[in-house]
Amino acid sequence: MTPTIPELGRFAEPALLILVSLTEGPRHGYAIMTDVESATGRPMGPGTLYAALARLEERGLIEALPAEDRRRPYRLTAVGEASLADQLEHLAEFAALGLRRLGAAAR
Amino acid sequence: MTGWLVRLYPAGWRARYGDEFEALLSERRLGPFDVADVVLGALDARLRRGGVATAHDRKGFTMSLRLGGAAAMVGGLLWFVGLGTASVLGDGWAIPGMTMLLLASIAFLIGLVGLSAFQARREPAIVWAGFALPAVGAVASIVGIVLMATAGDEPVLAGFSGWAIWSLGLFGLMIGSILFAIATWRTAALSRPAAALLGVGSTLCVGVAGFSITGGFAPLEGLFIGLFALTFSAGWIALGWDAVRRDRLALAGGSI
Repeated sequence: MTPTIPELGRFAEPALLILVSLTEGPRHGYAIMTDVESATGRPMGPGTLYAALARLEERGLIEALPAEDRRRPYRLTAVGEASLADQLEHLAEFAALGLRRLGAAAR
Repeated sequence: MTGWLVRLYPAGWRARYGDEFEALLSERRLGPFDVADVVLGALDARLRRGGVATAHDRKGFTMSLRLGGAAAMVGGLLWFVGLGTASVLGDGWAIPGMTMLLLASIAFLIGLVGLSAFQARREPAIVWAGFALPAVGAVASIVGIVLMATAGDEPVLAGFSGWAIWSLGLFGLMIGSILFAIATWRTAALSRPAAALLGVGSTLCVGVAGFSITGGFAPLEGLFIGLFALTFSAGWIALGWDAVRRDRLALAGGSI
């Protein structure tokens, strides 16, 4: 069974942001942090980043590549890609439902 | 400092992530929010190792920006009401008033950690000073209030009475709040008018302290106390409100 992101509890949101960041290719921790901050406008602390990275790696959603000068890049696994696509589809359906209901309420 | 922070994590975690984590910490200017986040991350890693990760995950405790904003608002409100209650309503209201001031100081401590996350990574020296000085001031205020309640006017700590320690703490809180307001203004991370309000209120307080010491402008002292209490509290409430508002906008996918 594909691991789902909501199982990560309070790290579900940071994990989703990390997975989206890795869709553009392998990135190390610092690059993920700056990418997430520039994309969302919200800071992601280093403790939160590594707590989420450890959980994602444990569940096989990402994998570590050989370290480059103490920086270790991470990349999405096939399972991670499938899980992310699944989550984003659910979110898109939920967003569409919310917008439909908002539209109905406004009328 | 980065080595000390990494050592907070359990040995197994350090063996796997320690090197790259230390590299990440050393290439980033750490603010108070980052340090708090790392401490919570280390606690999380230790709890996970102890097998309580799942329950812990679900609790969702974390020092969030929203919590910082809410704490700043609560702190500002309690501080204003507490000071008014303790100084205007007479002796019978001293204990409820001081209790509110004590709770306000605790709320300011939480707010300082949460709001400093917004201070970006620029101006690290002033952001750290703007965090550390009011935090030390708030802790001294808390100690002073507790000593006032337990020992009255007697000198109890290095010849200082509870009142003197509270006054020193208040002074630290105000000077630190001026620095925090400057840091917020310079980084433009939160509302600049709110930062200006906090800066003016804190400066007025330092001025009032000066008047009290020199005995100058005594007839206007009450007016200045009222003005500083109002602007200082309003500044914290406005900063907290802005943080909560920005957090909501970000959660809704809007621009902040």
